Amino acid sequence: MTMDALTAITVGLIAWAFAVHLPLVYTVLGLTWLLPTLELIGLRKNDDRYFDIAKSLSRYLIFTYAIGGVFGTIVTVFLAGLLPVFTNAAGVLLWPVWGVAIVFGVAISLPLIGFYYRSFGKMDDAKHIALGYGLAVVTSVIPAMFRLVFAFINYPMGVTAKPDPNSIVGFDLGVDLWQALGNPTYPPLLIATLAGAIAFTAVLISAVYTWRYAKTKDEHYKIGREFGAKVGLIFGVIYVLASVWYLYEVYQYSPTMAWSIFGSPPSYLPAQLQPVYQPTLNLSWLFYLDVILGVVVLAFLATALRSANAGLAMAAFVAVIALMDGAEILNGLAHLPYAIVPSPPVALALINAYGANFALQVADTLKVSALITPQINSLVQLIGAQPWLLSFSLALFVIFNLILLGGFYLVFSWRPRPQVSAQQ
Amino acid sequence: MPDPSIQLDLARLVTAVGVLAHVSLASSFLGTIALAVIGEYIWLRRQDKEWLDLAKKFNVVATIFFGVGAAFGTLVEFGLVTIWSNFIAIIGTAIALPFFLELFAFLFEVIFLPLYTFTWNRISKWAHWTIGLLAAIGGYYSAYNILAVMSTLSVAPPGLTLVNLAEQGKNVAGAINWLAAFQTPTDAWNIFWWGANVFIFHGILAAVILSWSGVAGVVMYLYIKEKKSWQVKLLKVVVPTIAVLTAIQGLLLGHLQGELVLEHDPLKLAALEGMYWSGLRTDPLTSFVAYGDFNHQFWGYYSWPADIRPPEFVSVFYLGFMVGAGILLGILTAGIGLYLLFGWFRRIVQPLLKPSVYLIPLLAALAAVGGAVSTESGRYPFILVQSVPSADGPPQIVGVPVYQGGLFNPTLQLDPLLATLIIIVEIAMPALAGYMVYLALAKPPKLLKRLVEY
Repeated sequence: MTMDALTAITVGLIAWAFAVHLPLVYTVLGLTWLLPTLELIGLRKNDDRYFDIAKSLSRYLIFTYAIGGVFGTIVTVFLAGLLPVFTNAAGVLLWPVWGVAIVFGVAISLPLIGFYYRSFGKMDDAKHIALGYGLAVVTSVIPAMFRLVFAFINYPMGVTAKPDPNSIVGFDLGVDLWQALGNPTYPPLLIATLAGAIAFTAVLISAVYTWRYAKTKDEHYKIGREFGAKVGLIFGVIYVLASVWYLYEVYQYSPTMAWSIFGSPPSYLPAQLQPVYQPTLNLSWLFYLDVILGVVVLAFLATALRSANAGLAMAAFVAVIALMDGAEILNGLAHLPYAIVPSPPVALALINAYGANFALQVADTLKVSALITPQINSLVQLIGAQPWLLSFSLALFVIFNLILLGGFYLVFSWRPRPQVSAQQ
Repeated sequence: MPDPSIQLDLARLVTAVGVLAHVSLASSFLGTIALAVIGEYIWLRRQDKEWLDLAKKFNVVATIFFGVGAAFGTLVEFGLVTIWSNFIAIIGTAIALPFFLELFAFLFEVIFLPLYTFTWNRISKWAHWTIGLLAAIGGYYSAYNILAVMSTLSVAPPGLTLVNLAEQGKNVAGAINWLAAFQTPTDAWNIFWWGANVFIFHGILAAVILSWSGVAGVVMYLYIKEKKSWQVKLLKVVVPTIAVLTAIQGLLLGHLQGELVLEHDPLKLAALEGMYWSGLRTDPLTSFVAYGDFNHQFWGYYSWPADIRPPEFVSVFYLGFMVGAGILLGILTAGIGLYLLFGWFRRIVQPLLKPSVYLIPLLAALAAVGGAVSTESGRYPFILVQSVPSADGPPQIVGVPVYQGGLFNPTLQLDPLLATLIIIVEIAMPALAGYMVYLALAKPPKLLKRLVEY
């Protein structure tokens, strides 16, 4: 297999895993904030129907967390198996980020989700709401940490590279984490993620409940539809504002990404540096598609506040998933050919300290094609020797995706079982 | 900044507690999902509703253990990235295959287990059972692949070459000093060589014995209190099976594994068997177990340099806990099993029933912990252990070291406070899983403001 084919396979597998993983974890994050909010509204209005909606949605929380978590593991295995040097270096440089995300995010949040789900109706309402918000805070630690890594990829602020003749890649890497925390692309990315997750989940809820209300005229679904539409609108606006801020910072600090997203090089980039920062893919079509999808979702939300249009609801359901996936794929692939974009401030510092040739050497090493290191990568080599392994895997992945979609369809299409309220 | 050796010890402690917690949760999942599928099968064949109720209960319990166990799997995985970060380069250059295949197992589990849980009475009975079976297969195949990796840590598979970059005055980006590679790309399949399969099935049976022993203890406690028919039915399946599996462990798989250790890591054998001497000496008992005679000589523990010797305590975990507790567990469950099935040994067994509530789980736990600690600490300070014959002395033991310059993250700063916090989380989460199981199985509380079935 050629180098280009191997790079394409690597990127494709990782992109696929992310494309499934991210909408699922967005849903989990959104639900962790929305469920206790529904309970809180129910408590304030003394209306059990809000509790019932929260309870029936908590089932999806378990389902989506489980599958989203698995795809998170798939992402990690692909990163370790296909980009071992990159993942190894990321572990060495950013260990506190992974540590906090996993210990205080995943290890605590997953059992808490189970506890929250199992304790509906088995503990005092106020305590259960507090538990729900506690779960939301803990779960939010995960994107708070992982988005720092994404920001680092956009612009490796705080990183140091020193020439080392003993190093096979010619240099040693280091990082100042406090400086990395000041990454200008980090705050808007984190805000967009949190607001986006809540808006995304609210739109899904509103769309499904609109569909169900149109078919059943059950008031239960009307409440869910209106709640989802209101929350979706509020947090959708925050998401859009944060995204604009994020794109502005990306434009300033990550020229490869900006070029890929907007279709032309940033105006500040001198012509002689353009070959260094030219992206592999022009993804501006995806950016504009995302804008159109956003308008579709907005139209649905405006309608859902007043009436139930089942057809528009289904269009919005598909559109919001496509929008979220499109945005994440855009964010994930716009770096190419780089795994970490050698941003101008970083490159300038390297040129000043060690010369242009060294800066170019570092930049070349940060390319995905260099980091998959096919000459020492056992999985890539095995796929090269036995291509059936890849075909077989891809076939299985397609089957699992179909089962996954079927599972989601069943989860959404089944009517909840009769609910029994036993007020004391 | 704490002393590097203290950091290493703290990292090992954090990892050991995390791995043991994960193993206990994963074992509990393997055991309970098997009981759910077996219970549903018996219900389908006999139409005995008590088995249906049992299958549903075990399904819920299995789901809880899976959820918390999966979180721990992620914790362990990121423990590798953060603490033993240079293991990632070893994975990428040599042992990515089982991790890759494990993804399919994981997909099986995560898709079919929720389907199994949410489709009781919603689809045809046999279709539902098949979904449960697929979820269980996913769980066992996942264990298969991860145990293949564990086996590789203990004994390097055939064809694996270790590359010490530091010896050549090289590194990668100032962080990576070791790589590993197979001679040809297709040798990556050697990870599943027959020796690994011995290790794997030894581990899988240990998981089932451990979890079923826990179930046996709880059900026996309930049986002594309540004497209900479902309790006898379940005990008749679980207890004799533990006895049979324990016998297979000791007489077949354990023996084969001992032979592998003898051949591939004689230093580990010396540590496990407590051969505390220097040079060659006859050990009649080990000779008999290994070769069937009393005359063979073995290299003693002190024949190797101190810096590569595993800790001396491993013999306690091996001989005292794993072998000793394992033998007692086999005898106890065989006796109770024969009593439950045929009414034999009534006089001897009946007084033992009450203490067995605690003895069966305790012995199984001791044997499991003993096995895990002796296996993993017995290879310390190396992974991917290889034995190289030497003309004038004991075989040379080589591998990738876990300390600084090997797997250990060179930038990690792990102080005692942080380590304590992580260990608290590691212990608290299985405890929470236990509480969730209790909540799931306990009768609904009498005073409830809002009771909803879902």
